Amino acid sequence: MSGFDLFTRRDITRMLMASAAGVSLSGWMPKLAAQSETAKKNGRACILLWMGGGPSQLDTFDPKPGHKNGGPVKAIDTAVPGIQLSEYLPGLAKQMKELVLFRGMTSKEGDHGRASQLMLTGYRPVEAVNYPGIGSLLAKELAPADGELPGFVSISPFRFGGVGGPGFLGPKYAPLTVSGNSADPNARADLTVENMLPPAHVSEGSKKSRIEMLHFLQQEFSSKVASEAAKVHQANYDRAIRMVETQGKNAFKLEEEPEALRDAYGRNRFGQGCLLARRLVERGVPFVEVSLANSGNVFGWDTHTDNFNQVKSLCDVLDPAWCTLMNDLRERGLLETTTIVWMGEFGRTPVINESGGRDHFPLAWSTVLAGGGLKGGQVVGDTGKAGAEVVDRPVQVKDFYATICKAVGVDPNKENISTIGRPISIAETGAEPVTEVLAG
Amino acid sequence: MSMQLCSSATVRRLLLAVCCLISDTAIGQLLKSDIVRDVDLHAGRAMADWIDQKSQAQWDQEGVAAPLIVDDGTFLRRLYLDLTGTIPSVATAREFLESTDEYKRAIAIEVLLREPRSAEHLARVWRRMLVPTGTPSEGMGQSIEPWLKDQFARNAPYDEFARNLLTVKSTDATDPTKPYATSAIMFYQAAGGNAEGAADSATRFFLGVRLGCAKCHDHPFAKWKQEDFWGMAAFFAGVQNGTVEDSPRTTIRPQDGDVEYAAKLLWEEETKLDGASPRQVFADWVVSEHNPNFAATAVNRVWQHLCGRSLAGTVDDLDQANAEDRAVLLDGLAREFVQSKYDLRHLISAICRSKAYQCSTVSPNQLGDQLKVADVRPLKTLSPEQVFDAMEQALMLPVGRSDNAARFNGERMAIVARMNEAFSDTPGDFSAGIPQALMMMNGAVISDATDLATSRTLRAVVDSPFMKDEDRLETLFLATLTRRPSDREREVLLASVQAEGAAPGTVFADIMWALLNSPEFVLSR
Repeated sequence: MSGFDLFTRRDITRMLMASAAGVSLSGWMPKLAAQSETAKKNGRACILLWMGGGPSQLDTFDPKPGHKNGGPVKAIDTAVPGIQLSEYLPGLAKQMKELVLFRGMTSKEGDHGRASQLMLTGYRPVEAVNYPGIGSLLAKELAPADGELPGFVSISPFRFGGVGGPGFLGPKYAPLTVSGNSADPNARADLTVENMLPPAHVSEGSKKSRIEMLHFLQQEFSSKVASEAAKVHQANYDRAIRMVETQGKNAFKLEEEPEALRDAYGRNRFGQGCLLARRLVERGVPFVEVSLANSGNVFGWDTHTDNFNQVKSLCDVLDPAWCTLMNDLRERGLLETTTIVWMGEFGRTPVINESGGRDHFPLAWSTVLAGGGLKGGQVVGDTGKAGAEVVDRPVQVKDFYATICKAVGVDPNKENISTIGRPISIAETGAEPVTEVLAG
Repeated sequence: MSMQLCSSATVRRLLLAVCCLISDTAIGQLLKSDIVRDVDLHAGRAMADWIDQKSQAQWDQEGVAAPLIVDDGTFLRRLYLDLTGTIPSVATAREFLESTDEYKRAIAIEVLLREPRSAEHLARVWRRMLVPTGTPSEGMGQSIEPWLKDQFARNAPYDEFARNLLTVKSTDATDPTKPYATSAIMFYQAAGGNAEGAADSATRFFLGVRLGCAKCHDHPFAKWKQEDFWGMAAFFAGVQNGTVEDSPRTTIRPQDGDVEYAAKLLWEEETKLDGASPRQVFADWVVSEHNPNFAATAVNRVWQHLCGRSLAGTVDDLDQANAEDRAVLLDGLAREFVQSKYDLRHLISAICRSKAYQCSTVSPNQLGDQLKVADVRPLKTLSPEQVFDAMEQALMLPVGRSDNAARFNGERMAIVARMNEAFSDTPGDFSAGIPQALMMMNGAVISDATDLATSRTLRAVVDSPFMKDEDRLETLFLATLTRRPSDREREVLLASVQAEGAAPGTVFADIMWALLNSPEFVLSR
């Protein structure tokens, strides 16, 4: 070791560890992204706006003015002649040319848990098959093999029964969950990833030596034990460490955005979540889920009582956020590659109940697609004057799934192998995409 | 010296000796109980010898050398994790490593198998077999643990275990002589509370036959037809809407079908009901020593739990194995298990003493090409509960309710839930994702554990005036990995501690962090 006299002990340690890890010290350290990256030109993305609880179609996208089922809500004209929206959505009315309304959605699931599972996986729940959620399914198809960020990020997730996870695809496709620290939707949203910051008591020097020591121990371990599990462990830590080092390519630094833009999105969790979704898509994340749920009322859109005030206040959050998201994506040239999906687990009864509320209604309700891969300005389906049933062009959930797949450029018949060895297609067998809404 | 030469007095001495190494609770328990008198080390050795002979024959046939046997530290950590779900304390590890008693491994097995913690851990492991991770009713699985724990604590014979589960009924819940009936019934609830689910789960769990696919269509890969599934489901016709009864009905009609299926035992020519309760007939058939799959599936499960992979086929699907696969070890060991009167503890003990269990995970190709060694044991991923319990042990976390202990204040639950999101029932798979890694890197428990101001283990190590840096390093390794550092690890890490300008306390905290995040902490060798 005499040659080492030229160096301090600290230097020796570092060199020993570096050689042990088989890489140069700077090699594993990611180069911090100096310039803002843009998503690959052809990179397709999908943003799911999840409306947990079941949004009222009658007071949003399928208004029934002049019928008693429509309640006090007025309908307003949109940028597309002949199509009207609820007065609660003035901004979206102006963007109707981007939207495709599915007014003829129909399913048999009227229970929150079962219906959420159906809408988030495309399959009705059955025993023994843990179907993957749409985010995991599409992330698997769209995410680059070794992205610095996960393929599926879920912002302020709110779901019944915890459905919509990676299912049989496995944790590799699980969402990275972003939580908001503040429960107050009007408070400045602080969207963070759990455990992304090292503890405050750890100095910069320690952070570095910890990672070096970890690499050293990983190397020592794998020199003794050759195992796939050890490789997966190391690869996973490499990704997590890169996330911490770059703080997720700084995607979560919303303070980098102009104040006026943040205001336009709305200073609430959903609004800021939509802004974060844009920043993530920009950095190559192919699937982002943003949840809109009321504070206090965890059921969000589950408006069994006082439907109209609640829907109005939810729309006051939804409308500006969604509109700003589309404008923002458009300005950056990302709208044509980013498909926006708006849905909940079911709709609500046309008949208004005694408490001024609407109850669960899976028979005839609405979902919306917008942006990439779509020919906007269309309505699919009709629920007649009273909204009690689909009188034209009913769309099953599996057909809706096939349409989303086509819009984002994924084959709906692509099969994944379930844990019991059975191949299961992304959209259920027999699904027919609604071709008239697809671009090109 | 062979075990046959051990007198019972020797056995007693050995047990006493090793108990002093194991833990305070084991000592206390030992002095109060009859364990010393009752343990029969000879019988366990005989079965272990049988396993070793069979394994050796297989290795000879394949032309490979017998695998290396692991060192004491690796063995002890492995055994603790497999039998009690946690890792040994530093004191236990030191004493075990230093003991020169040639029987220390055998005795450690016997003592740990009798720890209350063992029944608790095995209950958790078997719960995951009954209600697999990732199935929609996974959350209900925990409610079966009290019944399972009682079965393991009493070392109930496995045929009794099966009968008990297959014949429990809802009305037993109010029977004061059956305190665990409520818990056992949860097996049926988790299976969907209906006949189809019960038949599917029972055949999968006890017989290693996956009939589920045949519910709606003939099985794509195995020989099972739809009528096979419904014939088995008919035995459970009394399980409906979450109520578990013995119905005199012996037929079943699928909800949207028009065929009425009669109860039929899967591969039997003839099914005799003779007025007995259908589930009783089913249970008799399952546990019969003539049933080719019952003991074999049990042995396959125990083997996978201990050795990381099944002996043949998969634990849930023996159809994937052919007669040749099964003849190597599985069917013979199953016969031994039947002869032992389905004694699970005996089976576990024998496997733990065998070479197949005690062999190294070192891969053959790392020993050079000239030596081909049997590759029998994969690394095993710690379960979510094992990760927490190992951290609790390594970090000497407080365990009392009044100390705001992590196991009570919700932190354990949060950690287990996060880990569970990424847990696979196949022990050889490591499948954690980024959220799990972030939790281990920056989460609250680890954060406290690597902060000199809050970490008990770290403080004890850093503040001890009697320790040299070398001892400190060794203690951290023993606390987390149950082994001493290698020469190279000692050299590199001590250089870091003693580097110019380094604050040794901080460096030890960094080492602690790296050890807890290292693959060796969560992958059992």
